[in-house]
Amino acid sequence: MKKPRVCVLRTDGINCDEEIFYAFAKAGAESQMVHVNQLRSKEARLADYQILALPGGFSYGDDVHSGKVLAVELTSFLKEQLNEFVDSGKLMLGICNGFQVLVRTGLLPDQHLGNIEATLTANDSGHFECRWIRLLVEPSHCVFTRGMEGSLIEIQVAHGEGKFYADPSVIAKIKNGGQVVFRYAGADGRPTALYPANPNGSLNAIAGICDSTGRIMGMMPHPERYVEKTQHPNWRRMPGDTVPHGLAVFKNAVEYARQM
Amino acid sequence: MMIQEVRVITKAGIPDSKGEEVRYEISHALGINTVQKVRTARVFRFEGIGASDAALLAERLLAESIFQDFSVNSPVINDAAIVLEVAYKPGVMNPEAASIMKSAADLGVAGLLAADSSWEYGFYGENITGEDIERITSSLLVNATVEYVVKEKPKTLIIQGRPGRTEVIPVRRMSDPELIELSRDKLFLNLEEMQVIKEYFQRIGRDPTDCEIETIAQTWSEHCGHKTFKARLIVDGKEKTPLLQRLKKATEESKHPLVLSAFVDNSGVMEFYDGQAICGKVETHNSPSAIEPYGGAMTGSGGVFRDIVGTGRGAKTLASTDMFCFARPDTPDEDIPAGCLHPHYLLRRVVAGVRDYGNRMGIPTNNGSVHFHRDFRAKPSVIVGAYGILPAELCRKGRPRAGDLVIALGGRTGRDGIHGATFSSGEMTDRTIDVNSSAVQIGHPIEEKRTFDAILIARDEGLIRAITDCGAGGFASAVGEMGAAVGARVALDRAPLKYPGLSPWEIMESESQERMVLAVAPEHAGRLMEICRGYNVEATVLGEFTGDKCFSATYEGQVVMNLEMEFLHNGLPQRVMEAAWRPARFAEPQAVPKADWEDLFCRVMGHLNVCSKEPIVRLYDHGVQGTSALPPFSGINGDGPNDAAIMAPILGKPYGMVISHGLNPVLNMIDPYHGSLWAAAEAVSNAIASGVNPRDLVLMDNFIWPFPDEELLGALDLAVDACVDFVRGTGMPFISGKDSLSSTYRGKDGTVIKIPPILCISAFGRIPDVSRTVSADFKKTGAQIVLAGYRNTAEMAGSVYYDLLGYIGNNLPKLSPTALMQVFEAVYGAVKSGKVLACHDISEGGAAAALAEMCFGGDMGVQIIIPEDESAESFLFNETAGCFLAEIPAGSKPTDIFGGIPCQVIGKTTDSKVIAAEQSGKTLFETRLDRLKAAWRQPMKEVFRQ
Repeated sequence: MKKPRVCVLRTDGINCDEEIFYAFAKAGAESQMVHVNQLRSKEARLADYQILALPGGFSYGDDVHSGKVLAVELTSFLKEQLNEFVDSGKLMLGICNGFQVLVRTGLLPDQHLGNIEATLTANDSGHFECRWIRLLVEPSHCVFTRGMEGSLIEIQVAHGEGKFYADPSVIAKIKNGGQVVFRYAGADGRPTALYPANPNGSLNAIAGICDSTGRIMGMMPHPERYVEKTQHPNWRRMPGDTVPHGLAVFKNAVEYARQM
Repeated sequence: MMIQEVRVITKAGIPDSKGEEVRYEISHALGINTVQKVRTARVFRFEGIGASDAALLAERLLAESIFQDFSVNSPVINDAAIVLEVAYKPGVMNPEAASIMKSAADLGVAGLLAADSSWEYGFYGENITGEDIERITSSLLVNATVEYVVKEKPKTLIIQGRPGRTEVIPVRRMSDPELIELSRDKLFLNLEEMQVIKEYFQRIGRDPTDCEIETIAQTWSEHCGHKTFKARLIVDGKEKTPLLQRLKKATEESKHPLVLSAFVDNSGVMEFYDGQAICGKVETHNSPSAIEPYGGAMTGSGGVFRDIVGTGRGAKTLASTDMFCFARPDTPDEDIPAGCLHPHYLLRRVVAGVRDYGNRMGIPTNNGSVHFHRDFRAKPSVIVGAYGILPAELCRKGRPRAGDLVIALGGRTGRDGIHGATFSSGEMTDRTIDVNSSAVQIGHPIEEKRTFDAILIARDEGLIRAITDCGAGGFASAVGEMGAAVGARVALDRAPLKYPGLSPWEIMESESQERMVLAVAPEHAGRLMEICRGYNVEATVLGEFTGDKCFSATYEGQVVMNLEMEFLHNGLPQRVMEAAWRPARFAEPQAVPKADWEDLFCRVMGHLNVCSKEPIVRLYDHGVQGTSALPPFSGINGDGPNDAAIMAPILGKPYGMVISHGLNPVLNMIDPYHGSLWAAAEAVSNAIASGVNPRDLVLMDNFIWPFPDEELLGALDLAVDACVDFVRGTGMPFISGKDSLSSTYRGKDGTVIKIPPILCISAFGRIPDVSRTVSADFKKTGAQIVLAGYRNTAEMAGSVYYDLLGYIGNNLPKLSPTALMQVFEAVYGAVKSGKVLACHDISEGGAAAALAEMCFGGDMGVQIIIPEDESAESFLFNETAGCFLAEIPAGSKPTDIFGGIPCQVIGKTTDSKVIAAEQSGKTLFETRLDRLKAAWRQPMKEVFRQ
């Protein structure tokens, strides 16, 4: 079977590229590291890939706002390529800094490239935070979480600007449109506004969203950091056959891309 | 054209978390209660564009209308009692400026010549006094070394300057006092060394240029030259082998089969698996961190990461570690010596520096510690480590050939850190902040990250003949060392500068960060440049390796330096130093009051050297790269500390790398020999507790000592002897090390503060399969708890328990390296057998603290029985390193698992969430876990607001 091709986007300050590369490889895709300069110079073309992955990190130092400088670059130089990529039914995944970029390009929540409707702003705590948290997978259109709806998964967050914030009307639209994919959950499994289970104070405990087609997804937590059993801090306390919780996100993407 | 100003503020009603943070610090760190609210705003300035373009940038880049408002050329905080703006001083590079320039270009804004950014603070409250604002400004918001309060709008953002001329220094005619004056505050060489320089130039018949004399001073600095460690040493009248030679010899004699490179490269290298090698390096960055903790810690991290990529022919950085020593964060202001910063501020800012550098580079910071002692009030110790991986075949340092090009990669050269190497070798005085303020800078991790990205691609394509980092001593050290055998010539005017105006000698000595120097064969230069362009990395051919065995430099065609490599590297006279250690006597506790057990236990857990450092660890991204297999904290609630970090650096493979360390400043004051053995035992025990084979471990040393007078040199001599004995007893070699011998403070009024001498030992090694390792959290109720290892519980000196009584004592734990090795082998064997469910080593706070931490992780209690013939206090709070607590299944026999080493069952795990202890059938205490945990969490929670 032909392996779907993943474009792992790199630029100055992206630093979760290798683990996302590995997660897609483990899920059965063929990944390539592509520098944004290669896309700008046309040395590489998005059209050659079925999945665009925007990894975490601090693109351009997260100067001004997290992900902003890369978002400006993408909307200034790659608008056509990105629109064409989305219109042809392909997949985009933004994790952490990648989510911040997707929101700041306007691709999330509604594919309005160049028009920002939501934002990810400084954590209420005022500081960067790295910890394992619990996520409730919401029923949604999202391609990346098929079959996971209703489950609780544990993965890691590591960010300083992850508070999902938008006008109430936008939040309502996202909620009603089945675009909320992940919510931070407390020990009881229910969405929570309480720190540290909700590590950043996100409105409606939103940790990840998708667009109305379910093919573009962004999330603050890092599923690519939990695709091997021993990556969980408490793997020693868990049954030997535990499936790493982050892997399904990548498998779903690969499975969907295969059908393209 | 006028400067355009854009101000951006979070909309009213939306939380301003930075403002909240500042307000918290104002009330908590400074105790000022007149400030009710703080609002913050960004200020952006632009030169070369008009107001309409500034507004466009505000809309498209700087402000997001969803949560922010902006103004152009007008104030944005209008209702505060006081508004003030804090900016970097001109000449301190603001990393954000380049991003703003890039985005402006991407958005099609033409004509922008320069940009800058800063922060504005609005303080709300009717009773805020001028004095309050002065304290908030000087203690919290502004570090006068790099920042200032903007009083009027700058007229230009462009730094101009004309380079100074190269001066000739007439050393040949100088008298001794003149030589000393020349050296003071600038060269940091002693009279004998200055005389050698004078004689050399008399011999060759000319005077040196400033560039030459500065280059010699850098190369001969204590920081680069390790004069004390190489000195002829007379101990109590008898000559002993020089310190460095002793350490190297012990390593050689250990004949450790896994060592690939020891003491010769930027880091030490050992064999890993599958043709890969792992490397480690630990550095100190005390002096810069003392005067600008954020920038100092950042450049410390940045520098040690460059040591990794500068190893062999280029390694990938895998991990970052940090070990700090400070005075108590609640030290009264009047206790802080003149010219020194408050430890509360230092601690927070050093942590922020390590956080921002490591996180932004995507290097997990996953091992570290913080220690507190009053005598660090004059100067903190900031120790940063880094670890990496590279193909074993590339692990040896490359040698440049004549004709190879000298290529500088990465950041531009500015006036940063001039005299950093010489400065860190000098003592700290109350003049330090004024005289040496140019010695620190703000790091730029993104520059370093992209440089590393490009280097690793160039390495994999075989383009690099040799590589080293540009650290202390700048190009002078990097090119001088790399070309030591062949000679090198550089054209200093080719170096890309941050701003004009640097003199040739400043370009040569500048310690601007994020620069690497490569030796590249001419035929590979084109491809290297192409890779660098693709990664937005600046690369410049500075010159070439020559074959003439001279180090020469030109500036605009004029020769400004021409030194023989032989004199530069071998002209430094070997020092002769006298050493004699005199043991100090410390008071012993008398008439100890009967313990209120619960209170005592809580005070031990809340002791600064025991308390949870989780609020710091959470600020560091310790999961990036996806390699973690044993994180700093784990357990049911994620708050049980582990002893070592274990990573699986090759994703998808079971191979593990372990990292751990040990240090104890108090024990070295009592007895540097046994204190140093303790540090080594603690470092190794941390790794062993997780299940590592002691034969798969190597060591690194960092000596951080006050300026070595006869007595302190005697202490250093004993510490080195301890290291050597440890290598001989355990077979574990040292493969990298560093000394920093300048932790002495001298005030104007004659105050002398000697910082406690520290030996920090770091251990790293390999594990064939990470799934065969254990964590420290208790796993099952009803399991047995075993205490394994040799200890004499009467040896209580230097313990936290004694400290709480107000004493230090003299009878410290005395360890035997050979006995330790038996224990290490036995504990490793026990974990390997699969019968150990959890294991934790005993250190500060003793068995009691270790037990409590295991309980926190497992969220369960324990019932322990203290032997009748033991003092309960000593049994619980003795801190002998090399002892372990292990959880084993009910019914199994400890001697079957641990073999012949001393091991005893001391109790069992329970489902009660209480730590209960009894002795001779009587209950000593039953303390609830939540009480202990609250005490343990409180100190750092308070400092870091979590």
